[in-house]
Amino acid sequence: MAIADLKAATRIPPKLVTIRVKRWSPTKGKVEWREYQVETYRGMTVLEALLKVKAEKDHTLSMRYSCRMGVCGSCGMVINGVPRLACQTQIAEVASESNPVITIEPLYNHPVIRDLATDFNPFFGKHASVKPYLIRKDIEEREGPTGEYILKPEELENIYQFSLCISCGLCYSACPVAASDPEYLGPQALAQALRFIIDPRDEDPNTRIAVVDSEHGCHRCHYAATCSAVCPKAVDPAMAIQMLRSIVFRHRLGFWRKRTSKPAEKPKEWQPKKPMPPEAQTIPGVDLEQMEKEPVIVEVDGIKVEIDYKFYKIR
Amino acid sequence: MGLTDRVRQYRNLPGFLQASLNPWLIKARNNPERLAFVLHRVTGFTVLLYLFLHIIVTNTPARAGWEAWDSLMEAFGAALFNKVGEFIIAGFVIFHGMNGIRLLLTEFFGVCIGKPEKPKPPYIPPSFKACQRRLLYLVFALWPILWAIAGYIIFKG
Amino acid sequence: MARTWTMQFLQYVTAILLIVLLSFHLAERIPWITGISYHESLKSERVADAYSSYGWVLLLLAYAALFHGLNGFRGMLHEWKPRHGRLWDLVFIILFLVFAGIATYTVVGLPPLP
Ligand code: SF4
Ligand code: SF4
Ligand code: FES
Repeated sequence: MAIADLKAATRIPPKLVTIRVKRWSPTKGKVEWREYQVETYRGMTVLEALLKVKAEKDHTLSMRYSCRMGVCGSCGMVINGVPRLACQTQIAEVASESNPVITIEPLYNHPVIRDLATDFNPFFGKHASVKPYLIRKDIEEREGPTGEYILKPEELENIYQFSLCISCGLCYSACPVAASDPEYLGPQALAQALRFIIDPRDEDPNTRIAVVDSEHGCHRCHYAATCSAVCPKAVDPAMAIQMLRSIVFRHRLGFWRKRTSKPAEKPKEWQPKKPMPPEAQTIPGVDLEQMEKEPVIVEVDGIKVEIDYKFYKIR
Repeated sequence: MGLTDRVRQYRNLPGFLQASLNPWLIKARNNPERLAFVLHRVTGFTVLLYLFLHIIVTNTPARAGWEAWDSLMEAFGAALFNKVGEFIIAGFVIFHGMNGIRLLLTEFFGVCIGKPEKPKPPYIPPSFKACQRRLLYLVFALWPILWAIAGYIIFKG
Repeated sequence: MARTWTMQFLQYVTAILLIVLLSFHLAERIPWITGISYHESLKSERVADAYSSYGWVLLLLAYAALFHGLNGFRGMLHEWKPRHGRLWDLVFIILFLVFAGIATYTVVGLPPLP
């Protein structure tokens, strides 16, 4: 959730919390709720509590996690009715002395594999369908680039926020449209479509616009903005979708043209060293001309190191 | 029977009715847009039903003549049930219209939604700080006032 | 259906039209503007006068409102059961034609005042 309780990690959570987990097993095929009592410590996250349950109480509890630090986007689950990253959610944030019960469900709108582990194949498929990579017309150049593509700092500012997305699927799980329409592209894919459509290094916005301008694309969004409210990285997909939609309209009406950047010029070859200005001083005892002619070898702890005169620049 | 035959699917979709009618399906804080979305959908759908009825009723003069129209209007004006219905529809139209202006600005013109920025703590999304949020609060504030005025006109006769 | 963006574009265009036309249509009933009471403004003379002098405005309002409402409804149906997309587009067309027909008949087939 974007507005995290920044002080939560410093507070002491209730000594004993009850974790209610919504479990589903593919072989039994039915949903059941289980409760576990967990002893807490200060700074404990929900993911740590679940791992403690798995280690000490119930080894069959399944979940997915990897980095434990809010980077990989694997551990999304619905905690007390809000989709959040379990590893970023402090127990002290969601449980209190008066209500020490934490309800944990698998992410909504994603098919469940088992317990808290959800199937992200459809979600990643939607992400892939908007072609989230730079496309250049000149394929030869793209495969063997001769220089970098230029991106000005103010252009970076436009896309930076959207490129922070970690594909955790929380936004997709919160969206009311995705909650009834499994074919909806979803906030994450649409935000990524915008991120590449306005990226000046990309040359093919048309295919992406054709993908998002469909019956289950950007026009299905109703700006409920829950996606932005739950995004842990403040990507703000709701804003991205509204920007995308107005770009689609302007593009279709012929008012919108994409500005693309060319690859930067080839870097110049190594320039011959400029002569020293006469006022430049060398360290006493160092003869630069001699160093240029024959390299200086220094022995440090039995290892021979060559000292390159180029690093001895005098400014 | 292989293993895959026994594996069942669990879609975990809350479904259309939950998504369209329950603004607290996701208990996220700082998200009045979700409430506005639910209200927009409910009011829009109700007004559409009213529109069907309205088109059929206003067809009365062409179908049955002006006497029928006048007697129908007399009957409508006398029944409190109809007045209450009209009052509800008026309020729904007012909300749908005002929130619709905000949605036109954000969705169609792409303004009032803020600009992308470098996220900084406390990580409030830019569109939540933009003027669409103030417009939304304005809509919620004006709605009861305009609805009350509409009620005054309708019930006074 | 026509291309998606066209439908959505028309959705917003009709929304802008509706803001203007519906405000006008509602203003017809406000006593402080018309000078007569709400109930009076629904009498047959007033209504017949409205139809004969600016019936096309009301007809345009009916078409715009029908399109806007039914297209929104079509979107909901698409969300509800995405599998039957074709069917929902057909529902949209049929409902629009039927009610647009009734609305047209209201204005075109208006009898003279008794
Ligand atoms: S936009 Fe935010 S919530 Fe959605 S997948 Fe990316 S990081 Fe997660
Ligand atoms: S703004 Fe659009 S994508 Fe985001 S939650 Fe709302 S409907 Fe879904
Ligand atoms: S475990 Fe990587 S984001 Fe939580």
